[in-house]
Amino acid sequence: MTDDSLAIHRLLDEAYAGIEMTPEARDLKEEMRANLVARMAELGGSGVSGAESARRAMAELGDIRAIVTETAATSTAAPWLDQRVRPRPAYVIRTLLLSLPAAAALAVLVWSVLDTAVHGWQPLAAAVLALTGGVIVADALRQETTSSYPLPTTRALGYGAAATLGLAGAGCVAAARPEWPVGLLVAAGVLLVASAVAFTYLGVTQTNRHKPWMVRLQREHQEMADVFAGDPAAAARFGIYTAAIWLAALAGFAVLTFTVGWAWSWLALLGGLLAMLVIMARTMFRPRGSEPHRAA
Amino acid sequence: MPDIPDSDTFLASDAFAADLLRGHTDTIVLAVLSQGESYGFEIFKTIRDATGGAYEIKEATLYASYRRLLKDGLVEAYWGDETQGGRRKYYRITDAGRAVYHDNVNAWEITRGLIDTLLELGKPARTGIPRPGRRP
Repeated sequence: MTDDSLAIHRLLDEAYAGIEMTPEARDLKEEMRANLVARMAELGGSGVSGAESARRAMAELGDIRAIVTETAATSTAAPWLDQRVRPRPAYVIRTLLLSLPAAAALAVLVWSVLDTAVHGWQPLAAAVLALTGGVIVADALRQETTSSYPLPTTRALGYGAAATLGLAGAGCVAAARPEWPVGLLVAAGVLLVASAVAFTYLGVTQTNRHKPWMVRLQREHQEMADVFAGDPAAAARFGIYTAAIWLAALAGFAVLTFTVGWAWSWLALLGGLLAMLVIMARTMFRPRGSEPHRAA
Repeated sequence: MPDIPDSDTFLASDAFAADLLRGHTDTIVLAVLSQGESYGFEIFKTIRDATGGAYEIKEATLYASYRRLLKDGLVEAYWGDETQGGRRKYYRITDAGRAVYHDNVNAWEITRGLIDTLLELGKPARTGIPRPGRRP
């Protein structure tokens, strides 16, 4: 990156100084950045110097704060809608075409297990299934999605190879039926173990693939689930409420059973369950910003 | 065609025309996008070049327009895969957007006819066609 192209990033950062970085503002900033770079390139093409073109492109934009305020008023609600990536029809068609031989191979393999007449096709079917399966996996992992970055080519190929080994192993198991010859079983075992080892290796060395907004969403989810760990008082309160509710429900059940009879006494238990669920929902999904230790 | 002293000037500062045009920003953006997907600066440039530079929609107006169109489901947006100089946010018109665009074009054609007829009332038997005045 040259000094000139850095200038526009610096100017943009300066313009955004003091503006609260909501997801909408961040989204707008990134959109502006690419547009400014394009405008700068146009100005540069007409002979304007780098620093001057950065300054002019920025000046043409006008008051950033006003734009941020205006766009915030009409922002889209769902965070993932702002994060979508370009659809790739070629990928969809490729996967569909590859899945056709894969599905055919799988059908032949299943058929050969049920009927010995097509036994001769087993090696071919297993090979086709393993190869197409591997290619589909590797290709899918190479794609960028709304919530994940694409995997590096070597890692994607690694996953594809692991999938191929696993499918080949499964094919060997299918082919070994019903006589279970030792040679095939050993081959299947080796392939399946190799596949498991490869998947494990790839899994434990995998770094974060999710995009920042996805990680944030996941963290928020986790925080919600961990409300009891973060707030022991809430956990204790919930425990006491639950005990009280079930004591009352059981007492009600006993009383109703002896007075009204079985036909209606179960309603006491149902009522207890409903009350517990309501209390649980209220404890776990407390409105944002409310105090965790509110005096009861 | 007047010269353009700076980018804030529309049609020789004719506020009447600028107001009229501003009311149709969304439809103009839909018109650009109905030619194919595009990103912010390219849309801006297409509008500017289509009028020979006589009319520029301010980029601020465009950013607000994109968000409005997104919210109404008339366009969809996604990030391109550029690696240099920031990712471009591409917009693509949806089927709903196309329908609204055609409706708006039809409505405009009817309105234009009506306004032409009504404004003609103010200029009896003159053949020269000056631009519509502010006080017809």
